[in-house]
Amino acid sequence: MSTERARDRRAAFRAGQRTILLALPGSAAWALISGVAMVKGGLTVPWALAMTLSVYGASAQLAALPLIVAGAPLWVIIATGFITNLRFVIYSAAIRPYFAHESVAKRAGLSFFMTDFAFTFFMRAVQENRLPERHRDAWFAGMAANNWITWQTCACIGVIGASYIPIDWGLEFTGTLALVALAGPALNSRPALAGGVIAAAVALVAHGLPYKLGLFCGALAGIAAAMLADRTPRDTEAVA
Amino acid sequence: MSGAIGGFALGIVIAGLALSTFLTRGSFLIAGARLRLHPRVESALRYAPVCTLAAIIAPNVLLDGGAHLDVSLMNPRLIGVLGAGLWLCWSRNMVGCLASGMLAFTLARVYLAGHLP
Repeated sequence: MSTERARDRRAAFRAGQRTILLALPGSAAWALISGVAMVKGGLTVPWALAMTLSVYGASAQLAALPLIVAGAPLWVIIATGFITNLRFVIYSAAIRPYFAHESVAKRAGLSFFMTDFAFTFFMRAVQENRLPERHRDAWFAGMAANNWITWQTCACIGVIGASYIPIDWGLEFTGTLALVALAGPALNSRPALAGGVIAAAVALVAHGLPYKLGLFCGALAGIAAAMLADRTPRDTEAVA
Repeated sequence: MSGAIGGFALGIVIAGLALSTFLTRGSFLIAGARLRLHPRVESALRYAPVCTLAAIIAPNVLLDGGAHLDVSLMNPRLIGVLGAGLWLCWSRNMVGCLASGMLAFTLARVYLAGHLP
């Protein structure tokens, strides 16, 4: 009985690993570039490695970097990182229902690995009904493991090889393109389109806000717009 | 570089960033049922991925570092995103998306470099 359960869990883990396979080159390119950026931005190799391995959140790391180099007050740097990370609160709320029955330790473990990539792929599997009914934790772990190994390997290569990797010919743009590849397939309904457009517009307008608040404001406004757009067609369907 | 933070202070900063990343990712997950959300808000959260990604991508592509908005075809990053978007219309393959986006971006940069005063 327990061997059957173990086999099911392994199968779920491997299904999770497979689901993110095609996105790993995007993750790899972005990791490499953020590794290079850490060192070119002014961190020494040991500190850059420590940061990559312990934070595991490129956007907060890259937001903090210029402040570290400029010698900003510690609380300003940490506050900037925190506000850049506020979108993870939204992710955390979105993903919570699927792991409500798991232990606190396991939920804390999953939290550490919930990057933009892991979250987006999880939600895509939810939308396409590919998420297994049981052993979702193993499925998430498989996906997160592949993403983590790829990210850390390439980020460390980027940190160590920073002086040999030319970042000036626009390679850093692949990071943005990897996010485009994640977002594109999700623009498949009216609420998603409304949310995406409003989020982009608000993020542009609010870009000047301190502590990278524009990103969070854009995300919140987008979700609110999607919520409004979501209600309208369902009401008309109910009437028809 | 004399003003750069190093040593113990840098250790504190990195620990703070690690903690804030973990705590934000864990917020609702770890709190579990103790934090409640309106069901409509909860259901709208399935649009969270696309909204957050759009809010990250748009300033990266359309703002040139500062506050200068560039929505013209003279913006190579916009051309790159259009190239990647065209690819995504018929395939989800991420490698192809990165390749076509980088190709469009690079071609636009080369072209503009030859045609700008």
